[in-house]
Amino acid sequence: MAGNGVLVVIETSGGQPRPAALELCGAAQAVQEALGSATALVVGQGIGAATEQAARLGVARVLAVDAPEFAEPVAERVARAVLVAWEQLDPALVLLPGTTLGRDVAALVAARRGVPHLVDVVALGVTADELMVTRPVYQSKLLTTVRASRTRAAVVTVRAGSFRPPEPGEPVPIERLPVELQEPDRRVRVTRMVDKPRGQVDLESAPVVVVGGRGVGGPEGFEQLAELAELLGGALGCTRAVSDLGWRPHYEQIGQTGKQVRPKLYLGVGVSGAVQHTVGMQGSETVVVINRDSNAPLVKQADFAVIADWNEIVPRLIARLRERRGRSA
Amino acid sequence: MKIAVLIKQVPDPNALRFDPRLGDLVPGIQPVANEYDLYALEAALRLREQTGGEVVVASAGPARDALNRGLAMGADRAVAIEGEGLPGDSWVTATVLTAWLRREQPDVIWCGQETSDSGTGNVGPTVAARLDIPLVSNVVGWEFRDGVFEIEREIEDGHQFQEVAPPVVLCALSALPQPRLPTLRGIMDARKKPVERLAPADLGLDPGSLTPLVRWEGLRQPAAKSAGIVLQDVPPDEAVEQLLAFLEACGLLG
Ligand SMILES: Cc1cc2nc3c(=O)[nH]c(=O)nc-3n(C[C@H](O)[C@H](O)[C@H](O)COP(=O)(O)OP(=O)(O)OC[C@H]3O[C@@H](n4cnc5c(N)ncnc54)[C@H](O)[C@@H]3O)c2cc1C
Repeated sequence: MAGNGVLVVIETSGGQPRPAALELCGAAQAVQEALGSATALVVGQGIGAATEQAARLGVARVLAVDAPEFAEPVAERVARAVLVAWEQLDPALVLLPGTTLGRDVAALVAARRGVPHLVDVVALGVTADELMVTRPVYQSKLLTTVRASRTRAAVVTVRAGSFRPPEPGEPVPIERLPVELQEPDRRVRVTRMVDKPRGQVDLESAPVVVVGGRGVGGPEGFEQLAELAELLGGALGCTRAVSDLGWRPHYEQIGQTGKQVRPKLYLGVGVSGAVQHTVGMQGSETVVVINRDSNAPLVKQADFAVIADWNEIVPRLIARLRERRGRSA
Repeated sequence: MKIAVLIKQVPDPNALRFDPRLGDLVPGIQPVANEYDLYALEAALRLREQTGGEVVVASAGPARDALNRGLAMGADRAVAIEGEGLPGDSWVTATVLTAWLRREQPDVIWCGQETSDSGTGNVGPTVAARLDIPLVSNVVGWEFRDGVFEIEREIEDGHQFQEVAPPVVLCALSALPQPRLPTLRGIMDARKKPVERLAPADLGLDPGSLTPLVRWEGLRQPAAKSAGIVLQDVPPDEAVEQLLAFLEACGLLG
């Protein structure tokens, strides 16, 4: 049997832990009886707050890699940090978040160690001799179970929203892990970043997401949707058709080539529900749709659908929500 | 410049149907070239237009139609690596492709970010790690100047720009320019282009090195959602009241 314990890689952005990374501590708890206790590896720059947060999430140890070379997400560098921690810990399982960085790092580390990378996992189980995971395939239309022998360690990336982070408890001590980059780790250089504006409700963790599609008809309509999102305490998203037309920025796009969201409420306006879009919103708890066409695929996935021109519905909805807010204020 | 493009053939995602009795896809779904791979090929063809050289399309596992399409789009030659158990899991696919790439020594390797079937996204990064060359994934734009790529990537925080020099593995997303359609002329020319057929043994791989690391266990459908409420031909004011009542009942109005 290979290794012992679970290594949890906490990805950070701007010093803050990604929510999907904190959820990994929940995943680690689910398997620690079989595989041993968890160590969190926090990687980034200026990550003091992130390490303190991780230290309370049911792990036995926290290793911090805090250096300027890790300020930007570059897969080869983070992979080096994970490989250094691996040498120290010899884990049975390494968990990473299913982010763009996490998936690259996982594949690189798995390849260097000659072990499998089980991808985009939504459930995780361990038997006496196998690791057993559930994952979506065929663009999330179907599920499968993937098994890997426990004679080797395994690397697993976890889909956001599949586990809950544990309730914070007493913190464990934080140790620094020195990581020296090797020459090959510097072959890729980040030159600049076109950020998404800060200060908005983060799309991926928003409890409500209002999504506009091509049916909204133009950038002006999105001003109303932005107000609707604000009144509902949520964030604004869009389809690829919309970002391709330049009505909204790409970072608001939801779907296969955009963000994955799992809000309590997804409200789709003028969105047809192409599979490349729905793979990004499938985990939503409640789906409400406003569409002119009762045959739009998204209507079939809706808990509540209004078949109408959105111009008839959204302004009225905004007016009523404003009234309610006025009353409660 | 020598440019390799890795292509996989997948069941047509628009024709995908599941048979619950078989616990598998309905048989006979048309295989097509994986969509992201065609975006990768388009990028490769544009790179060749800029730098000269050749574009080689390759596949591990059956992919005759996809490779032919690649040739018709403008690739110079194709390599079909076929054999029992191919494509296998992403580890096996990457093993076979790595062995072939070692032989070819391309300057740039383009591949799709992931496939529409198993969609692990592992092949590009695994090949990069095993060839020990840099990896840039989620590519939505690129420029090649003075021997260096500036790559635009889509990541969670926005768009990241990276600089990297060949050799490199680049994984394409579909925000890149649309793949060109094969012209009639292209389809005619494709028939004259070389297609090399290889077995893993031709690449020095013994059967032992082609053992998958993971095992898939059939397919199933996610739990179906019960039919929701659909308001049709309801006057707008009333529709909005009903919608508010629904949101209220779900505890979604704060
Ligand atoms: C490889 C690949 C990756 C992709 N990735 C993504 C992705 O990540 N995210 C994504 O979203 N898409 C993605 N797409 C695109 C996807 O296939 C669809 O084209 C896109 O999602 C459609 O966007 P839409 O619903 O806004 O537009 P449409 O499909 O044009 O739908 C518009 C809808 O609006 C309705 N409508 C029109 N007017 C009104 C009105 N006045 N009031 C109410 N309803 C109205 C119509 O009935 C229709 O249902 C991808 C495609 C490919 C090939």
